[in-house]
Amino acid sequence: MVWFGFGFNGFRQIYKAVHSSEKKDYLEKNVEVKVTVPVRLASCNSDGTNEKAHDHDASTSKEVVCGKAEEKVIEIRASWSRRGTLILGADAHVCLSGFGTSAQTVCDCVPESRGCRDAQLTERHLTLLFGDRAECWSFDTWGGLPVWKMEFSEMAGMGSPVALPLVPGGYITTNPPMFRTLSPQLRAVSLALGLEHAVLLTASGSVYTWGLGSHGQLGHGGLEQEEEPRVVEALWGVAMAGVAAGSWHSASISTGGDMYTWGWNESGQLGMPARGLQEERKHTDQVEGTGSDTDGEDSRGVFISIQAFPALVDLPEDSEVTKVSCGSRHTAAVTGKGNLFTWGWGDYGQLGHGSSCSSDQPLHVDFFSDNALFVLDVVCGPWNTFVSVVEREQSES
Amino acid sequence: MAQVWTEIKEVFPRTEAEFPLQFSATIDPSLVAVLERARRQLYSETEAFILEESAQIVLDFSWERLNAGTWRDVNKEWRQAYSYGCLFKVASLCREQPCEARACDAIRTCDMALLMGAAIMNNILQTLVEILQQKIRKRHSDESSHAEECIVKKQREDCVPVPEVSRENAVPRTSCPSLEGFRSGFLTLQKPVILQGIIDHWPAFKHHKWSTEYLRAVAGCRTVPIEVGSRYTDEEWSQKLLTVNQFIDHYILRKVDGSSVGYLAQHQLFDQVPELKDDICIPDYCCLGDGEEDDITINAWFGPAGTVSPLHQDPQHNFLAQVVGRKYLRLYSPEDTEKLYPHQSQLLHNTSQVDVESPDVARFPEFVKARYQECVLHPGDVLFIPAQHWHYVRALDLSFSVSFWWS
Repeated sequence: MVWFGFGFNGFRQIYKAVHSSEKKDYLEKNVEVKVTVPVRLASCNSDGTNEKAHDHDASTSKEVVCGKAEEKVIEIRASWSRRGTLILGADAHVCLSGFGTSAQTVCDCVPESRGCRDAQLTERHLTLLFGDRAECWSFDTWGGLPVWKMEFSEMAGMGSPVALPLVPGGYITTNPPMFRTLSPQLRAVSLALGLEHAVLLTASGSVYTWGLGSHGQLGHGGLEQEEEPRVVEALWGVAMAGVAAGSWHSASISTGGDMYTWGWNESGQLGMPARGLQEERKHTDQVEGTGSDTDGEDSRGVFISIQAFPALVDLPEDSEVTKVSCGSRHTAAVTGKGNLFTWGWGDYGQLGHGSSCSSDQPLHVDFFSDNALFVLDVVCGPWNTFVSVVEREQSES
Repeated sequence: MAQVWTEIKEVFPRTEAEFPLQFSATIDPSLVAVLERARRQLYSETEAFILEESAQIVLDFSWERLNAGTWRDVNKEWRQAYSYGCLFKVASLCREQPCEARACDAIRTCDMALLMGAAIMNNILQTLVEILQQKIRKRHSDESSHAEECIVKKQREDCVPVPEVSRENAVPRTSCPSLEGFRSGFLTLQKPVILQGIIDHWPAFKHHKWSTEYLRAVAGCRTVPIEVGSRYTDEEWSQKLLTVNQFIDHYILRKVDGSSVGYLAQHQLFDQVPELKDDICIPDYCCLGDGEEDDITINAWFGPAGTVSPLHQDPQHNFLAQVVGRKYLRLYSPEDTEKLYPHQSQLLHNTSQVDVESPDVARFPEFVKARYQECVLHPGDVLFIPAQHWHYVRALDLSFSVSFWWS
């Protein structure tokens, strides 16, 4: 499985130049903080040990990939300052790159993660899900014991572990006390956590949200907060297949491949006209002397600051959406045709268009199609984006 | 802009070791690492754009934290982290003898720290902004024109409807009452009154006469919050950050066509620009309150004719001092609150739903039964609005008022 990454690289979590003699120099200068063009992620060896540093120069070190990486099932988890590579299968474990990891190695294997089935990464914690237990490890006080632990038996009628942050009986929160119960009647199948809100998908395809609603991120039409899970009535009757949460926005896709977004459109993360971006454009236009002084709306209609109900968003390509993921202030979607679209905040290159521009409309990421790559999956970190791909011929066969 | 960096550098601690960066566990260690990286870059020969990049990471990350929950609940340390981001950005902008555009950007950055951040290192950003502003002012002191005054005069001649103030409803006026006279006659009885002759000595009326030209000179490149939309209860209402120059161009002189009204309202401009504070004085009558002088909140209200503050009440006493232009006010006693139909929501419960000058009598039948007082404030007038007294305000001219909230 091959993964690419782009966007915020301030902690070398996407790539780092490994160089023995002039290490400091590299850290300060030669590695970009903003990766605007997707780079292939290096990965560790199949036995879980780190690939030793060689005297690669910056350009080839981006391409360090261990021989068997393509055969393994790999998932990516990202927090603001770190990237976790979750290797599944016989020798399941998590490798970390970014803040606090070794500068010499490609990534650091987490011994505590051996045999895990899923992992969740936040700025302060690494949560690991095993067949019989879940553990939260704090980066601030690593070593010794996990800060939170829950044991469960698959026999005890609590159901088997699902996908983090869901655990039997509830879910793992991003801050202490680390656990909150969920009614089993909800039949939750996946849960996405925003900064202060949660978006849940049930087995029947309904969406529930709760938490802070200050920016419309709950989709109930108001700005009030909700203590308990509340069904998003506007999506009632349309079966959903996936949910995602940004810091102040949310997204879902239906089983038919339609995509909905709601919440704060501050950087165009909903894919709707954003005043801030238009003013930026106007400013650039004026500097270039091509400006027009239209104000109040753009060609697509009025500006949206807060969208308090789910709204259908069309991609330029007439194709169903198979996957959606939200960064802090950006959104990325994969279509059934293997194309990637991104929009929202782009200051750190997280949109992958080779620039640090933001966009308030979904834009096709040409890099992958230009390189004959079929996009399978996308996972956004807060300020970056990770994409898994296969060669085009491979996918079509 | 020569010498800017030399002066700015003096304000910073001399060495990296003397530069404080202490945070509790509230601030993520990863962000502290970026702050330390920026500090190292500040004291090494790192190129300015790399320092700017580090500063921007701090700003973007702490901005997200400032917007995480409700503003009240934001931890002060996150506001300090934001100020550090501003500080490093100012350093990066000024490091290589900045052009005027970069100096203005540095001033804007200082203002963002003053508006959204919390004070750090003995309020170093206030010190920096004063230095930068001096540099900018020196370059502009020669350029002055009376063109703007003419535009403003012409606007004054363009008639706006001035309400008739009936004698029986008029707020009483009195000239320079004694402290005791004011206390027994108005404060204790919670009765509104217009005080005359108590601010005539303000420099704002004399050698620092407030005009758009003067405000440009003193604060033109300073960033301030502007309310856009005719009143804060409107759907379309929003807040923007603009420089004083931009505000004057767009919303006072209306150099750019546009229908929306802009209002520099309820902003503590005098803390941000101490030079303007020297042009005013706190009324002596405030000493009749129980609070300390530091507890008095001084707000600026600067906008074109037509700005409206919907009928609302405030928890403290108010001296509303009119410096430029005229304002029409309507006052209702708190005893009549029930007839004023306050909004139901928590956020607007101190605001009436009624449009005072054209009330919807069908929806709000009791409103017309409420007794009121009214007045037109002229430059030099100071209106005493007792705490909890409902008031509605509409500017008749280009207007600058100063409010003093005290208890």
